[in-house]
Amino acid sequence: MFCILNVCVCVCVCGAQTLNTMEDSSKEEYKIHSFDPETQKLLKTALKDPGLVDLETVCNIIVDQSLKDQVFSKEAGHMCYTIVQAEVKQNNSSVFRRHLLNRLQQEFKSREEMRKRSTQEWVCYVSFICNIFDYLKVNNMPMMALVHPVYDCLMRLAQPDALKNEEEVDCLVLQLHRIGDQLEKANAERMDELFFLLRDGFLLQHGLSSLTRLLLLEILEFRAGDWSLSEAAQKYYYSEVHD
Amino acid sequence: MSYRHKHSGHGDYRTEENRNKGPRWSHCRKRDADGNVRRSRDESETNTSDRRGSNRPECFTTPESEGPVSRIRDWAEEVENDEMRTNVRRDIERYRRRILTGDFVPRERKTSSGSSDSRDSRDSPVPGDIETDETVLMRRQKQINYGKNTLAYDRYIKEVPKHLRKPGVHPRTPNKFKKYSRRSWDQQIKLWKVKLHAWDPPAEEGSDLQAVDLGEVMDFELDVECSVDPETEASSSKSSSSSLPEHSGTPHKMMKIDEAEMA
Repeated sequence: MFCILNVCVCVCVCGAQTLNTMEDSSKEEYKIHSFDPETQKLLKTALKDPGLVDLETVCNIIVDQSLKDQVFSKEAGHMCYTIVQAEVKQNNSSVFRRHLLNRLQQEFKSREEMRKRSTQEWVCYVSFICNIFDYLKVNNMPMMALVHPVYDCLMRLAQPDALKNEEEVDCLVLQLHRIGDQLEKANAERMDELFFLLRDGFLLQHGLSSLTRLLLLEILEFRAGDWSLSEAAQKYYYSEVHD
Repeated sequence: MSYRHKHSGHGDYRTEENRNKGPRWSHCRKRDADGNVRRSRDESETNTSDRRGSNRPECFTTPESEGPVSRIRDWAEEVENDEMRTNVRRDIERYRRRILTGDFVPRERKTSSGSSDSRDSRDSPVPGDIETDETVLMRRQKQINYGKNTLAYDRYIKEVPKHLRKPGVHPRTPNKFKKYSRRSWDQQIKLWKVKLHAWDPPAEEGSDLQAVDLGEVMDFELDVECSVDPETEASSSKSSSSSLPEHSGTPHKMMKIDEAEMA
């Protein structure tokens, strides 16, 4: 149990730190290494000189990889952000963003089939769309068009059948750790709805694993503390992890 | 003023259609409707004809309904609209500030002829007289973007630096923050685009086609102009207190734009 929790905590903590502190280029390099040489070259060009490449192809490569690779799906937003910025600077256009949103919407429409087909792909999708929501801003504001879709995904993860699956619960709480406060600012009502589900799941649902119960309790406390854990709570949930 | 403004709110989609009519504008677009940068002109020509058929880009078609799920609007388009709206809001704040800071400049200076800095004369309205209706501003911005998304515009801004542009001679983007009737605005946009055509890239094989197109446009503009006359007259007489700079050598059409702008 602690082993899994450990992984989760690492992703949360390290994720939050790397988002802000690490150098752009080195981080991109690291992520790009998982592709074949030709694709690497294409992505590198897209990051520096987006006008030279077909951005629809680039977009599809990134989305496809995100749907396969959990680690990548959690960090791909940064790469997308870099391409979007480069494109605005170079051409004052947002072709890449348009393709990205179209593709995300296309996948969103068939999300229930996707979930049935492969939980992993579904979880990757949620990670990815949340990561995009986190990174891509419009004049420093979150993309409001994504607020409801992201909520729809998270609400799906909070349904009784999904709460039985640790993989989905893990994804749900990670997303809430990362973008919960932004989402609540954009639409508090739906955050209430979501947390009614989580509370009821925690209190009433039978047969949840102890890890799931722990993760749910933590996220309830996390939101109750205005999207942060008190020192005592931090110690309660994480003290054993560091041993 | 308020009446005219209200009146301009409805109808008149025809101008929008006219704008998209014919190959003349699509001919020199930098980007397709779906935002892709066009590769070459030959290619783009075939693309456009395809699009008339069944191969419209997906973002153009209304997606199928998916039962109770209501997230079927176009996300990308929604984001782009949001972006434009926030940009317009930011622009209006900037514009207000600029007017306020320039407010104590004596009126005479603004109309002094021969000044190459056109900014003064353009930004003269009192702060209360700004167009603040977001719908109107966004519609105008879209029209402006449409004109700027051309090879001609790229060539123009490259060939004629800002400080060398002369009012009445060079095309000047209409000021979206001024109160204009819908007609007057659409007319300004049209004339602006016609002027921009002078910077169209040198035509290749389809040269005669382009010439014919431009001729058609001119005819069309003249037709419209007649019906617009009273409007322009009325607004220009209103501002008759400030003497307009004389461009004796400028053709009639050019004068029209200036008057409209000064109003």
